[in-house]
Amino acid sequence: MIIIDQLTGAIVMVISAIIIGIGAYGVTSSRSLFRQLLSIEVIFNGLLVLVLSLLSFNAIIATYFGIVIISVVSAEVIVVVSILVAYMRESKSVSSEDLEEGGV
Amino acid sequence: MNPILSLPLFALLLGVAAIIAAYYVIKVKDLVYASSMLAVLASLIAALIALLGFGIVSAYLVLVYVGAAVMFIIIAISMVGVRGRESKEPFLGFAAASSIAVTIGIIVLAGKLYNLYSYPEYVSVTQAASGLLSHYLPVIALIIIAQAATLVEAISIARRGEKE
Repeated sequence: MIIIDQLTGAIVMVISAIIIGIGAYGVTSSRSLFRQLLSIEVIFNGLLVLVLSLLSFNAIIATYFGIVIISVVSAEVIVVVSILVAYMRESKSVSSEDLEEGGV
Repeated sequence: MNPILSLPLFALLLGVAAIIAAYYVIKVKDLVYASSMLAVLASLIAALIALLGFGIVSAYLVLVYVGAAVMFIIIAISMVGVRGRESKEPFLGFAAASSIAVTIGIIVLAGKLYNLYSYPEYVSVTQAASGLLSHYLPVIALIIIAQAATLVEAISIARRGEKE
């Protein structure tokens, strides 16, 4: 049974590393702010699986951690989308190349 | 099939499906379809988390993250109608992605971090709720305040410049 757990842990952790890598590719290769937001969410999904599998020795702490981090990320997503919509209204652009220091 | 082997097998299948969904999130040109694929990815991740033994976190991920946050992204992108050029730098992205994925993979495999995973003990909803309310009440209060502040902030930012 320990071998099965180790095999499952290895599979899940490698898969989460690949998902994090795909998200990193999206963030660094694209210049669209919305695409970058979606890629950051992909990274979050990979990290959530990785951290939960690492914290599995204490199920209750892992559960608390998951609930708190999902709440915070959901709030962050809503704020970022609102900021991007407001930015689009101001500058008519969704590209990170058009961002300027000190505001739009 | 041996029922003991079903856990890593299903984890592998769900993981491969999640990788395909993640690839489509960054590759599909239309952002509405890309955000829909994000909902699919999060649902597959929720299934994987449930398979790993964290049922409450899985249900919370589907209810709060997929049901609220990702749906908010889909509706916002659909209603605003995001258009515009989308320049790409594939080499930079590939270098960053491969270095990050390989680094995490080496840390996990060389450090034998997969030994840390063991099927967790069952946590009931009552147990989780009573533990949260007795030990982490300030954290819960902060999360509630943060969610309420987020709601107000999102509405005020979205309505900015509406009167002008």
